[in-house]
Amino acid sequence: MTTKEAKEKLLLYRGSIDDSDPQFRALLEYAKGDPELGRWLQEQTECYDTIRAKLRGIEAPPGLPERIVHRRPIPFPRDWWRLVQLAAAILICATVTALLMKWSERRYRLVAGAQEILVTGEVLDMTCYIASNLSGPNHAECARICIRKGSPAGIKAQDGKVYLLAGEPGQSINTELAEYAAQVVTIKGKRSVRDGFAQLQVEEIRKF
Amino acid sequence: MPADPEFEKLVKLYYRDLYRFGLSLTGSEADACDLTQETFYVWANKRDQIKNPAKVKSWLFTTLHRQFLQTRRHRARFKHEPIDDASQDLPHVATDCVDRVDAQTLLTLLAQLDENHRAPLVLYYLEDLSYNEIAETLAVPLGTVQSRIGRAKIKLLQLLNETNAAK
Repeated sequence: MTTKEAKEKLLLYRGSIDDSDPQFRALLEYAKGDPELGRWLQEQTECYDTIRAKLRGIEAPPGLPERIVHRRPIPFPRDWWRLVQLAAAILICATVTALLMKWSERRYRLVAGAQEILVTGEVLDMTCYIASNLSGPNHAECARICIRKGSPAGIKAQDGKVYLLAGEPGQSINTELAEYAAQVVTIKGKRSVRDGFAQLQVEEIRKF
Repeated sequence: MPADPEFEKLVKLYYRDLYRFGLSLTGSEADACDLTQETFYVWANKRDQIKNPAKVKSWLFTTLHRQFLQTRRHRARFKHEPIDDASQDLPHVATDCVDRVDAQTLLTLLAQLDENHRAPLVLYYLEDLSYNEIAETLAVPLGTVQSRIGRAKIKLLQLLNETNAAK
C-alpha cells in the first residue's frame, strides 16, 4: 500500500467515532510507521473536529421547539379494527333508516289508500255513543232522530271496533242510515284510517 | 390541545440535530425550520408504525432527508453539480485555515455541493453515526455513501482553500 492509497482511505477517518470500524484498523497501524502519513492524519482529524465543532455550534432559532409542540397535529388513531367497526355501524344505521323509511311509506300508503271491506254490526248515533255510551234498542228512537238531523253515524263491528260512516264525498248518507239506527246491518264500504280514526265510506247496506 | 409528553420529549431531544441537518441541506433557516417541524409531524402521525423505537433518531433523519428531496424535486432550484472523479489529488487544508471560516461560510460552501453528496457529508460531520447508519438513514448502499462522502469532502476542502486564498 502506498501513502497516497492510505490517505484516500483514511480521508474518511473521523477519530474516536471510527476507532471501532475494522476498515480503519490496519490503516491506522500502517500510519504509525509512516511519519508523513501520521502528520497528515493528525491534520485531517483536527480539520474534521474544527468543521464538526463549527457546524454543531449552529443554534436553532429561539422558540422553535415551542412552535413545533404548539402546532403539532392531533394524531389520527389508525386503529383499523375500530375503523371497520365504525364502518359497520354506519352501514347498519343506514340500512335500518332505509328500512324504516320504506316501512313508513308503506304504512302511509295503507292509511291513505282505501280498502273495500264488509262490516257487520250495530248502527250508532256517534254523538250519543261517544259522549254517553248510549246504544242498543233502548236508544233506537233517539239515534234515529239524531242521525236524521245530521249527527254523525257509525257502526260498531262484532269485534268491538267502531267506524264512522260516511257517504260519497260531498253527499250525506244520514237519511238512509237513520232507518237502520240501533239495528244490526252489514255494510260494504271503503275503509280508511287516519290518526287512529277509522271511517267506512258506505257503498251498500244490507239488513242482517 | 391536550398535552403530548412523548412528542414534547422527542422534540426537545432532537430538534437541534434535525435543524442543523436541515440547515446544512438547505442553507436556509426558514426551510430548515419547516423541515424540522414537518419531520416531527410525520412522526406524530406515524409513530404507531415505527417498528423499532430504539432507532427513532435515525428514522427522523431519514424522514427529514426524504422531505428535503421531495421539496427539492418540487422546486428544482439548485443545479446539479457533479463532482469530478475521486482520483483527484487530495487537497491539503491546514487547521488554522478552517478556523478562519465561520459557520455561515461553511453552510454556503456546503450548498455548492451536489445534494446527493451534501447529505452524507453533513451526517458525517454532524452526527456520531457509523457509515452503516448513514447508509441506512439515507437509504443508499454503504459503498455509495463512503464514495459520496469522500468526493464531497475533497470538494469541500477545495472550496475552503479557494475561500481562504480569496481573503
